[in-house]
Amino acid sequence: MTAAPARGRLAGSPLLPMLAVLVVAVLLYLPLMLWANVGPAARALASGADLGCPTALACATQLRNPVLPAPGQLAQGFRSLSVPPTAPTSAPYNAVVTGGETLLGLVLATGLGLVLAALLVLSRSFERATLPWLVASQTVPIVAIAPMLAVLLGQYGVQGFLPKALIAAYIAFFPIAVGMSRGLRSPDALQLDLMRTYSASPGRVFFQLRLPASLPYLFTALKVAVTAALVGSIVAEISTISFSGLGKMLAENSRASDTIALWVIMAYGAGLGVSLVALVGLLERVVTPWRAGR
Amino acid sequence: MASGAVTWRGAARRPGLGAALPLALSGFGLLALAVALARLGTPPTQPQPWLIGVLALLLLGVLGIRSAAQGESRAARVLPAAFTLLLTVLAVEVLLRTYGVPAGLIPTPSRVLTALWEARTVLLQDTFYTFVLEALLGFVVGTVVGLALALLVVRFRFLERGLLPYAALFSSVPIVALAPVVVKAVGLEWPSKMVVVAITVLFPVVVNAVRGLQAAQPLHLDLLHTYAASPAQTFRTVRVPTALPFVFNALKVGSTLALISAIVAEFFGTDGHGLGFRIQIEVGRFNLAVVWAAIVLASVVGLAFFGLISALERRFAPVPQEGQG
Repeated sequence: MTAAPARGRLAGSPLLPMLAVLVVAVLLYLPLMLWANVGPAARALASGADLGCPTALACATQLRNPVLPAPGQLAQGFRSLSVPPTAPTSAPYNAVVTGGETLLGLVLATGLGLVLAALLVLSRSFERATLPWLVASQTVPIVAIAPMLAVLLGQYGVQGFLPKALIAAYIAFFPIAVGMSRGLRSPDALQLDLMRTYSASPGRVFFQLRLPASLPYLFTALKVAVTAALVGSIVAEISTISFSGLGKMLAENSRASDTIALWVIMAYGAGLGVSLVALVGLLERVVTPWRAGR
Repeated sequence: MASGAVTWRGAARRPGLGAALPLALSGFGLLALAVALARLGTPPTQPQPWLIGVLALLLLGVLGIRSAAQGESRAARVLPAAFTLLLTVLAVEVLLRTYGVPAGLIPTPSRVLTALWEARTVLLQDTFYTFVLEALLGFVVGTVVGLALALLVVRFRFLERGLLPYAALFSSVPIVALAPVVVKAVGLEWPSKMVVVAITVLFPVVVNAVRGLQAAQPLHLDLLHTYAASPAQTFRTVRVPTALPFVFNALKVGSTLALISAIVAEFFGTDGHGLGFRIQIEVGRFNLAVVWAAIVLASVVGLAFFGLISALERRFAPVPQEGQG
């Protein structure tokens, strides 16, 4: 494990290779875009539609709903979707809404995951009774639960932000519980024996040995969980009645077949995911500074 | 109950009557309550006594599960989970009937089972589409492409520095946001969903496989160097075995993601097949019994898939025992 970072340092900054790969990807994108769009353009021309361009190849960059949008179209889509960033129909505003739901869901999931992990580690019978069903809960299609959960919570007066955060938490709690229980088990027999020679109570062993030892595992799990929570809140917005958020924008534009907008929203979702992971990474540096060098 | 495979540790405290009696009492008690409520027809005017009865029986069941989980026998591994499910389902049935919750809000488990049986042909066909054609095929494609990419990345240092950061970046992208675009680009039939699943599985596999292939101990590599082993031999005997646990970790994550991705992708358009499509249609008709039947089926298939991957992991990359506390 220690060899890889050392080699990375010796090999220098990854910026140049990353840039090279990016350039290759951009160069490959143009022919791919033309190839993907020529077919639909030719079909549209053959059906007698007036696209305002002479040949299929010329039309490939101007389709209203292209398979792959041309760079100009993409830039225009970005501008039109994000120009007044505070407008309720703009992508940045909706990204912030989704990000808030995700973070609230992550907090809820962390609480639940910690409790479950502690129970899993402390009680063998609890582990045997529930672990298979915790695994099974991950295979339950959340799309189906989401609208029902929204209706159910609405019956008891819970509306708006919270149902989506709950669904995000439902998707995110499992990696946290698993990672945490692995972390709580990580102290080796030697350390546990040492605590025993101090005649430490089980509570002290838990809070002074197991909990600190589990922190690195917790943050690894949180990085996975935050992506999962983001997926959860987007799916929740798609399938419940919601008025803002990236998921709602996805659903609306998917129904309207506005593919350029879909690509733009996808980019915003990607940016949101990356920044949320970065946020967790920042938190990790603050909480466990002794691991910052790794 | 605990006959046969009892190890030395379980022999001391094998689950006997102490587990069987509370479990049986609790199970039959809840069943009796459910039958009584079904006979009654209408929900009882005073729900409190029923609630107290259910809670008392559940407490008894928890005690039974606790003592059944002692020891290392096969029964102690399997029974607690099975009884947890059984008692939970029975308790939900009794509580839903006690409070007269309408089936349009939450259907009782017995209704779900009936729906599962009545709609079995349609649901099995949907499962075939969602699981075999979309999730499984996509999983295999994503894994194969991911492993190939990982080998390339490990072989060429340039790619490692240029491509791997992107893979890490993409693994934090919500795949759901990708689904509508892919469905629009590839079409409404099952291949579009397969592509979404493959992309979902791809990035965890690449990142983990690369990490695993680089996790070989320098000591082991030096040793093989002194044996004058060829690069291919080193690869086969050191790098692959160290990488396998990492890869299986990614596969386990991918196996749960695959089914969910397939179902979510079906949400953005299908040709009328698949569990996701069925769920969406039946939610719109408030036919929640069929929806839950589809969910049950998806969960069973997903759990079996996860179990299969875990079994393969135990066969090919056994996890060393963790430090037990």
